[in-house]
Amino acid sequence: MTTQVTVPPPQWLVDMTSTSTALTKPKANIVDPPGFTTLQSKQKSSKTAAAPARKQPTPEEMDTLKLKKAWELAIAPAKQLPMNAIGMYMTGNSLQIFSIMMVFMLFKGPITAMFSIQSTFQRLETDSNRGQMLLVKAAFVGCNFLALALGIWKVNGMGLLPTTRSDWLAWEAARDPLERAYYVPS
Amino acid sequence: MLLPLLTAATLLLRPSLAVFADEAWSVDYHFALLGEPRESTTFFHQPNPALKASLIYTLSEEGALGAVNPRDGSLVWRQPLQENSYSHNASFLRTGEGRDVVVSGIGNEIASWSADNGRLVWNVRTEGELRDVEILELSNGKETAGAKDAVALSAGPRPAVRRIDGATGAVKWEHMLDGSDEPYQVSASSTHIYAILLHKTMLGYLKLRVVSLDPVTGTKMDEYTLSSENELATADTIVSVGANSASPIIAWTDAAHSTLKVNVIGTKSIASFNIEKHGEETVERVRLHAPYHVNSLSHFLVHYETATSHWAEVYHIDAKNGKVAKAYSLPKLPGKGAFSTSTSDANVYFTRITRDELSTLSSASHGVLGRWPIGPLGVAGGVGEVIEPVHAVSEVSVKGDAVSAIRTVFLLSTGDWVLLRGGNAIWNRPEMLASTIAATFAAPAKIEALAEQLQAEAHSNPVSAYAHRLTRHLSELQRLPAFLVTLPQTLVKGLLGTSEDDVASDSFGFHQIITCATRSGRVLALDAGKPDRVLWNRQVADLKPDQSWQPRLSSPKPGVVTISSNAATGIQYNITDGEQIITTLPEDVEADAAAPRAVQYTMTNGALEAKVDSNTAWHFAPAQGEYIHSLIPRPVNDPVASIGKVLGDRRVLYKYLDPNLALLVTVKNSSSIASFYVLNTVSGAIIHTNTHTGIDITAPIASIVSENWFAYTFTVEAADDSPKGNHLVMGELFESLVPNDRGPLTGKSNYSSLETGTEPFTLTHTYQIPETISKLSVTRTRQGITSRQLLAVLPDSHALVGIPYPMLDPRRPVARDPTKEEQMEGLVRYSPVLDFDPKWYLSHQREVVGIKDVVTNPALIESTSLVFAYGLDVFGTKLSPSFSFDILGKDFNKLQMLATVAALAVLTFVVAPLVTRKQVDQRWKFM
Repeated sequence: MTTQVTVPPPQWLVDMTSTSTALTKPKANIVDPPGFTTLQSKQKSSKTAAAPARKQPTPEEMDTLKLKKAWELAIAPAKQLPMNAIGMYMTGNSLQIFSIMMVFMLFKGPITAMFSIQSTFQRLETDSNRGQMLLVKAAFVGCNFLALALGIWKVNGMGLLPTTRSDWLAWEAARDPLERAYYVPS
Repeated sequence: MLLPLLTAATLLLRPSLAVFADEAWSVDYHFALLGEPRESTTFFHQPNPALKASLIYTLSEEGALGAVNPRDGSLVWRQPLQENSYSHNASFLRTGEGRDVVVSGIGNEIASWSADNGRLVWNVRTEGELRDVEILELSNGKETAGAKDAVALSAGPRPAVRRIDGATGAVKWEHMLDGSDEPYQVSASSTHIYAILLHKTMLGYLKLRVVSLDPVTGTKMDEYTLSSENELATADTIVSVGANSASPIIAWTDAAHSTLKVNVIGTKSIASFNIEKHGEETVERVRLHAPYHVNSLSHFLVHYETATSHWAEVYHIDAKNGKVAKAYSLPKLPGKGAFSTSTSDANVYFTRITRDELSTLSSASHGVLGRWPIGPLGVAGGVGEVIEPVHAVSEVSVKGDAVSAIRTVFLLSTGDWVLLRGGNAIWNRPEMLASTIAATFAAPAKIEALAEQLQAEAHSNPVSAYAHRLTRHLSELQRLPAFLVTLPQTLVKGLLGTSEDDVASDSFGFHQIITCATRSGRVLALDAGKPDRVLWNRQVADLKPDQSWQPRLSSPKPGVVTISSNAATGIQYNITDGEQIITTLPEDVEADAAAPRAVQYTMTNGALEAKVDSNTAWHFAPAQGEYIHSLIPRPVNDPVASIGKVLGDRRVLYKYLDPNLALLVTVKNSSSIASFYVLNTVSGAIIHTNTHTGIDITAPIASIVSENWFAYTFTVEAADDSPKGNHLVMGELFESLVPNDRGPLTGKSNYSSLETGTEPFTLTHTYQIPETISKLSVTRTRQGITSRQLLAVLPDSHALVGIPYPMLDPRRPVARDPTKEEQMEGLVRYSPVLDFDPKWYLSHQREVVGIKDVVTNPALIESTSLVFAYGLDVFGTKLSPSFSFDILGKDFNKLQMLATVAALAVLTFVVAPLVTRKQVDQRWKFM
């Protein structure tokens, strides 16, 4: 009863506390759990095993991928439109520094995007997908024009567009009378 | 050490204190005037017998009664007795010795006023027009203790003498004067009341009929006629009828002023004195100065005037036998002179005022008691004009044989009323301004010269314009040293807000010259920016006493004012010094401004008649029983910035802008109907008409046309469903009531009213206003961008009010709240009652009495319009109806701005090294 029997710690405890790399060696008979990679095998696989695993895509596949990416880029301004529209609606039609700045940003974004259209699509453009890329660019321009239109709608709402008669009133002249009458005190 | 700190502290505080009150009394100016005083109704009097301080009382030519403090010339109280008293020649102001009331008589009303504060004690109306009012100093031979009674002589169909109780105003007795003789004056001795009547003989000469009455009962005691031996052709040569003296006298001369006849009233003997001729000139005027006191010696002074000189003789009356004898004479002196009589106990003193000297002598002997040279009067006259004294009153205090103090208040030929203490001028009141009948603004020549140069630069080609500007700036450089010298002063003044810029350095156009023509034929000029001084004052028209003139003033070009009247057409004067500009070519103003076809219309025989090249174009005759009350054409110079009104949704309502509009008011007396016609004065077409019934036609009807709108006010009599009230009608003319539509003439750049009869669409609104408006005017700005204010003269509350146009807008929505778009336009819901907001009162606390007309003129800056109102009082101000958007206001704290800049500069200098060090340290840490 009183004798102490020293029981060796169980193997799992030893394995867990031991920091030696030797212990991490896989047992031959136990299969690694799915998704487990040893450090060595991970290092090895990144160098050698993965490369042969992924097959180099063909130029056709590459083109489709690039085209997909390009379409994504082209549609992006349109995706922002609802958000922008809500923002514009919220700021109101009064002329305040905040709304003026927002409107300015609204105009600045599409215009700078359209000027940098070549650089945006340069790395996605190849000799083979040039034809399709034109369509993508047109879509990009169109989306940006939509954003610009939103800006113009906003500016019109603020009353900054000279679209009404009163805006041109200063250029209208009063009619000249051909006759003048003078009162001569008697 | 403390003092500079305190000054700095007050400097920092000052501009932020009471901005409105500050503006109120500094931007506007006001002369509270009485009008030119009359000799017979002006005197010194002690309102409170216990105190020695006396006031100067006068009943002026303009019918204003008032008291002036002799210390500083300020008005103590004032009562305008008659709005337009100039037709009444006779007015009287009397007071009893030691009494606290003054009694006035004007028209057919006698009134007693508290001398202290001008409150009415009593008033009595007589049947006929008053001919004389006297105070009975003595009744029953002894001085009365209480209120002194007044005796009034009235004319009319039943001429009468009345004795009026001095305390209550009750008529004690009344004596009807029989016969058809014209009542002339009333005179009182200690025992009798004498009524003097003018009896016309068969030959057309006048005889003096004297009726003596018992002062107690008013019964006739005696009656006799003085044989004036065909000498009196008119009443004008009666020199004087004395009153309230121990021996009242009546004096007259013949038409040639060769003999002077004197009669002591109550006796029948007439003393005759030959008027000695001093030199060749004929005597033009004889005046008599006698003491106005029962207890004083019966001495009087006769004052003779020729065109170029004057002299005087002193006569004594022997109290016992009534003999009149000449005592001594005063030497002849060149120029005009004035004499005043003052009493001290029984002694009588005469004060003589000449152009350059004041001297006082006793009536008993010719020894001069005091002599003072007259110092500079500070009065502006015409070029080369010698300013003459016209009449004077004095207050003399005598100690022993010398005059210890003398105060003389006298009227000058320029119309200024000046007080002299000894010989020094203490104050002057520009009383001639009270008789202003026409006024206009004129811009000084210099400012417009710059404007012309700028215009020249704008119209020439860039290269020559540049050269022009370069030469102009080079020539301006010559003024640089002088400018640099004055620069610190200007800066300090600018900072303190005390800069008194004058006409020369006026960049805002506030210092325009106002020229006023007075009833007496004088024209004078004031600086609108600094109106405390009359710039010049010259006689333009030589008018005889009964003559009147209707001057028209205008400023055809900067620096020039044109005065035309019925007698003379268009004489030009330089506005800086009043010199006449000799023009070789008569300028035809009408021909200058005329368009290809000019229609001239005029009022003849109560109808309007228009002519084109001497052919009658149209004719407007009021209906049977009506007469033309007034005709107001749209001003010739009426700039309009925008030809349309922008609506809330940014559409445009086009204004009907026709320079040939006029508002004509006709009144039918019999049925109290007033009709208002808006006329096209080229074709004579009636554009808009409105007729109002039940109008009080005795109340003023004011009207105005400007831009595309018209306004008029009238008073409505009480009816069954409405009380008596004042209405203001505002009408606005549009080319079309459809927005964005220019009517049938769309697309045409010119039109002829004769060929196309376009009718505008008129919107009107009527407002009930709290007070009668006697005159309407409107603010004018340089380009017409600034919104307008309708200026209204309120005669009952003695105020000038500026009503903002949006409050009167005929487009104010009726019976509904304005829509959002209308709100954006600033339209508020129509309410029929328009109360005058206290903030609209341009005259604020000032009491502006008797305003007859208001003239306005644009300043050089767009925001501001200059206003000048004249009548009895003169009032002027600067108005910014849309607030001063183009000029820094007085509330702008220049010191604060400078202090901020300085503080920032100091801060920069202090902080800069710190920041550099920190930046350097930071670099070392990271490297």
